Amino acid sequence: MRLSLVFFGVGILLVLLQTTFLHLLPLGSIVPDLVLVLCVYWGLHYPTVGAVVGTFVLGYSVDAVSSRILGINAFALSVVFLAVYLTSRSIWIHHPIVSAIVVLLASLVKGMALVLVWTVFLSTEGFWAGALRNIVLEALVAAALAPLVFALLRRGQNYIEQVGAPAQ
Amino acid sequence: MLAFVRKNQVLLTSFFCLLVSLYMLTAGARGQLKNDPLGPPLLWLLRPFQVGAQSVTGWARDMEKNFATAASFRSENERLRKRIQDLEVERNRLLEAEATNQRLQELLDFRSQLPSGSVTATIIGNSASSWFQSCLLDKGSAAGVRKGMAVVTPLGVLGQVIAVSEHSAKVLLLTDPNSGVDVLVQRTRTRGIVSGSLDSGTILKYVKRSEDIQEGDRLITSGVDGVFPKGLLVGSVTKVQKQHLGLFQLIEVLPAVVSSRTEEVLVVNADESQAKR
Repeated sequence: MRLSLVFFGVGILLVLLQTTFLHLLPLGSIVPDLVLVLCVYWGLHYPTVGAVVGTFVLGYSVDAVSSRILGINAFALSVVFLAVYLTSRSIWIHHPIVSAIVVLLASLVKGMALVLVWTVFLSTEGFWAGALRNIVLEALVAAALAPLVFALLRRGQNYIEQVGAPAQ
Repeated sequence: MLAFVRKNQVLLTSFFCLLVSLYMLTAGARGQLKNDPLGPPLLWLLRPFQVGAQSVTGWARDMEKNFATAASFRSENERLRKRIQDLEVERNRLLEAEATNQRLQELLDFRSQLPSGSVTATIIGNSASSWFQSCLLDKGSAAGVRKGMAVVTPLGVLGQVIAVSEHSAKVLLLTDPNSGVDVLVQRTRTRGIVSGSLDSGTILKYVKRSEDIQEGDRLITSGVDGVFPKGLLVGSVTKVQKQHLGLFQLIEVLPAVVSSRTEEVLVVNADESQAKR
């Protein structure tokens, strides 16, 4: 429970970072999607009901601060979590490069989910070239940051589990 | 049954969340989602952090500027360098204060042309997604901001309020693909819609091939959409392309207001503005 709350707090912090400091990076209109990296981490290393709800609420938070309509990021991140969770039993991640590849693929899945929802519910004029650019760049940036974020999350999770162990 | 649910609780919860998000999307697209139960509390929760982060960002930018300025004086001795650094910090602070003063004065002058119900607000956050062009303001329904109000600066149009909580508001920028502003080409009075697009920046849509549009033409709000007061600058034409096929021209637009360089804005109710005019 404590770990879930800490993780959720980290998620809200990442949303906050995405709305403020990460815009200072020289990446143009691309915002590093750390929330996605966190959701992939949850799908791989912390697949609980709390993580599912956390993924949904984080997607909803991104929608609340950014999106034209509610639910688009909540849907995309839920799809990513489900995809990662279903494949997590056959992936054993220890190497940073493997985590980067998984995040790259997850970001592509999220991009496809966004494209699907966007084409159904929103304007598609002048959409495709920009969408392709966004998907590729977002995936590369997220993959580049994934090993560092995974290492930090892993370390934090180990610490909290060790601290919580005697109490249990 | 219970054992099955327990065994597959993650999967079942995931599917449930997917269904809920699809329901929200469908209801939102149909305009049936009137109340957003989680959005306002989330914005309320994030607002103080965003205001704080904005201050830290401003401080970091000031420090960056100071560092760049101080770098040119490295050959000086330590005392003079310290002195110069101090003076530069002071100078930057005063310049910043003067620039802020000038911006606010311009905003005040501009505000006097608008209805009394307009609200001055500060941008405290940007979009958390690359797919949407939006920003957050530090004023909400408590200050009189309402959904659908226009967001403008003395330089021109920035966007439109699409969601409001008590102390913050979400603005859909002109550069978002889902935005649309009814405009007139100032020179020819030709009408069109300015909108963002993911691939070619901001564009002017639905202008017939036969219309005379030239690079540099200024676009102003028509006031017909009932959102933006008439006569505000939206941008200028940067590229005109007549394709071999199709009814319309492809026109690229440089927006008059760049959100990343904007700090203070006015939130305006077009209805009252039109009434005043």
